[in-house]
Amino acid sequence: MIQILRLLPVMIIGLLFVSCEKDDPIIPNEEELITTVVYTLVSDSAPTVTFEFKDLDGDGGNAPMITSGILQANTEYTGSLTLSNDSEDPSEDITSEITEEDDEHQFFFAVDGGLDLSIDYDDQDGDGNPIGLKTKATTGQAGTGNLTVTLRHEPTKSADGVSDGLIANAGGETDIEVTFIVTIE
Amino acid sequence: MVLGLALWHVELVGQSCLYRLTGQVVDQASRQPLEFATIMVMDEDLGEVTGQDGRFEINNLCSSHSYRLQVSHIGCEPQLVEVLLHSDTTIVIEMEHTSYKLEDVVVQGKSNDYSTEIGSNIQKEDIVHSSNENLSDLLSTIEGVSVLKSGSGISKPIVHGLFGNRIGILNNGIPQAGQQWGNDHAPEIDAFSADELTVVKGSSALAYAGTSLGSVVKVNMSKISQREGIHGQLNYIFQTNGLGHTGNIEIEEYKPQLAWRLKSTIKHIGDRKSPDYYLTNTGQREKNLSLQLEKTMFDHWQSTLYYSLFSTETGILRGAHVGNLTDLESAIGRSEPYFTSDEFSYSIAPPRQEVVHHLLKWQNKYFLKDNRWLEVNYGGQINSRKEFDVRRSGRSEFPAMRMKLWSHYFEQLYHQPIWKDGELKIGLQEMMLDNTNHPETGILPLIPDYRSYSGAGYALIEKSINQWFFDFGSRWSVKKMDVQAISRTLPREIEYFDHFFLQSAFSVGGRYHWMDGQESKLNLGFMKRPPEVNELYSFGLHQGVSGIEMGDPNLSMEESWKATLGHRWQQSSSWSINVVGYSQWVKNFIYLQPLNEYELTIRGAFPVFEYSQTNAHIYGLDADASWHLNTYHTVALTASIVRGDDIQNGNSLVYIPADNLTATYRYQLADHRRWQKSYIEIKGQYVFEQNRLDLDQDYLPPPPGYFLMGLELGSNLVIGGQRFNIHLDIQNLTNTKYRDYLNRQRYYADEVGINANLSLQYSF
Repeated sequence: MIQILRLLPVMIIGLLFVSCEKDDPIIPNEEELITTVVYTLVSDSAPTVTFEFKDLDGDGGNAPMITSGILQANTEYTGSLTLSNDSEDPSEDITSEITEEDDEHQFFFAVDGGLDLSIDYDDQDGDGNPIGLKTKATTGQAGTGNLTVTLRHEPTKSADGVSDGLIANAGGETDIEVTFIVTIE
Repeated sequence: MVLGLALWHVELVGQSCLYRLTGQVVDQASRQPLEFATIMVMDEDLGEVTGQDGRFEINNLCSSHSYRLQVSHIGCEPQLVEVLLHSDTTIVIEMEHTSYKLEDVVVQGKSNDYSTEIGSNIQKEDIVHSSNENLSDLLSTIEGVSVLKSGSGISKPIVHGLFGNRIGILNNGIPQAGQQWGNDHAPEIDAFSADELTVVKGSSALAYAGTSLGSVVKVNMSKISQREGIHGQLNYIFQTNGLGHTGNIEIEEYKPQLAWRLKSTIKHIGDRKSPDYYLTNTGQREKNLSLQLEKTMFDHWQSTLYYSLFSTETGILRGAHVGNLTDLESAIGRSEPYFTSDEFSYSIAPPRQEVVHHLLKWQNKYFLKDNRWLEVNYGGQINSRKEFDVRRSGRSEFPAMRMKLWSHYFEQLYHQPIWKDGELKIGLQEMMLDNTNHPETGILPLIPDYRSYSGAGYALIEKSINQWFFDFGSRWSVKKMDVQAISRTLPREIEYFDHFFLQSAFSVGGRYHWMDGQESKLNLGFMKRPPEVNELYSFGLHQGVSGIEMGDPNLSMEESWKATLGHRWQQSSSWSINVVGYSQWVKNFIYLQPLNEYELTIRGAFPVFEYSQTNAHIYGLDADASWHLNTYHTVALTASIVRGDDIQNGNSLVYIPADNLTATYRYQLADHRRWQKSYIEIKGQYVFEQNRLDLDQDYLPPPPGYFLMGLELGSNLVIGGQRFNIHLDIQNLTNTKYRDYLNRQRYYADEVGINANLSLQYSF
């Protein structure tokens, strides 16, 4: 037993860790984050309507803020989408990133709940395929429903119906999928 | 395979084979003769067991022929000794006693090897044939071991229904400090570096550091064998599926003053193919290097220095990369995955992983008088992991996750005989881990920066009484964890957390040798496992399986009781049966609970999973049987059954392997001139459907059962004294289209189709 005790100091040496204070983690610059999606509809004959989805702290944290809007019936609107990262100061423009890689991105618009709204593409990438940053929106009769805007990264734009806005065959990954409540009066 | 020189004397004519080799086996430290040591003449059907005086005698050996002897003794690492005979020769073989590990229910890397002794160089043979695969895939040939896969390139072992944080992996005696918490993080170990793979399934693994709930996977490298000159081997494996090339070189030299061994492996594999389509972006690269130095000083001090570098780049099926639930749903129903290319390619694009792992080990063993020894070891590791995603604006070049994990491990062991036929082992182990995320990702890290310190002490007592062998052990450890997390709300700030855990573990085991060669083993153990960093703090979207995973900082330790009962019948050399049954209760079992709520993000709504605790019962049975009809025909059967019940929620645990059954038939051919030890083996495996899950536990019900066939041919070619080993292994012979429940990419794609591995080896 005494022999074991004599060995103890050897064993305890290993216990002595050289440990200094660990540096604080560096908070990454979340430049890729999209916090805000704004869909602005402008018409000559009706007031401008802005739909906004804003989630400043990204996934988790506080719940996103969603602004809905009221459209005028039987009206043609010119739609434009802007994306930004407002968690940074000054805020970062993501729309230009999409424009630079327009062949790799496409927005899709889906309406449900009997909403009488049709949205057509009004822009093209270098291959003549739609992007969806610029759109023409046409309202019909009054009603309420949901408008879902989806941004796909690396969709197969050449697949059947995709250039007409059919998302089912598009593939790719979803970068944005936001839903607004739309009322037509 | 044949680690060496060989039987070329058969080719020579007129050689005299009447020589005698005699010798004595002694304990290195005490010089006491060792009884019951086994001396096998490799490549010959000759063997001897030493008598009471440690002596043995082998007759009818040929002159001018170099024989390789494998010497093994209970509690010792087997040794390879080379002897060149010119006349009757007498040698003394020194064996180094490591430890008595009889108490473990040990199943070695060869499924029909029933030796209770740890370590047998035969295993290297099976490892080498299929080292183009991952380490975990090799382990899966052991009954009771399955693999959790993320596509074809990433896999991790599941032992008795448990995996990840609950399985300890010992890389050359050092607890592997990688990012083991991730289901898509494979063990960072080169399969070629292993000379022996052991899975300790019982609960008596107290001596092994790490936080396992019982089972431990040991990857061991053998000691450099005491042979004159430079020896080694060259291996090359070609695989048809993925047009993969794997090359390996091993060189070693033994000199009494310094022995060294160098190993290096290079792997280059392209896209795998399922029966109907290419699995685009499933290529793999690997570059590994290891150096081992052994030196004995002053007769009593053995020192081993080991360094290994593992580096890999693995592609992840492009079609398995999804943005949200809608993407997942549209990917599920497809006949072939999105982004499937019509052409084969070696290129690896995002999503992909890059992992580099360094291990430095310094082992010192000091022999004291009276059969006692002291061991002081250090293991340092650096694990660097980068995961790349498909990202916007050229950011795919930057990893979406980048972490560096440093670790230091110290170990002090003391070993002495106690009472009559007893052993006492005392150990202290200290470990420090330091994980740091790199901010270049531009993404909030999935798991935070942290440091953890742990210290453990254990004592094991072993004693044999006649046909009985008993062991008793206890282990106590403390763990402190300091966490530095980044807040999820704005403004981003650093939040500090700390945790302290006191763990205890006990085990008691007994083994009984029946008169007729039967053997029974019983093991009972209690152990605790503190929650890991991912279970406490992970936060983020899980790629591939759309969901937000949240850790819970208030989790308590898991407490587990495990009972293992094993029995082995062996009737001479003609047949044997081995059965292991086990039952494990885990209180506070940590699992990912679906919260049935959705978190709204800019990419849509995601289901939320939170780490929660329940009480679980995991139990099962592993069985194998083999029957040697005669020298030529061998039939073997293995089966394993695992059940995992969540007692609290009344359903089954996820990722519990389905029942499976494997049958092999092997035909050993008679030696034909230059072709020696040739064989043909046919293998059939049936994996049942995992039908115990509720529908709401997964996006898709588990896939149906499947049957796979395999064919293996092997032979040794001897030309002019040079020995080559040729081995052909055809997997999924019928090119069956199937999906496996334990592959996390089963939502997206079929498993790989037919593949043939052609392996060539040259030993020198």
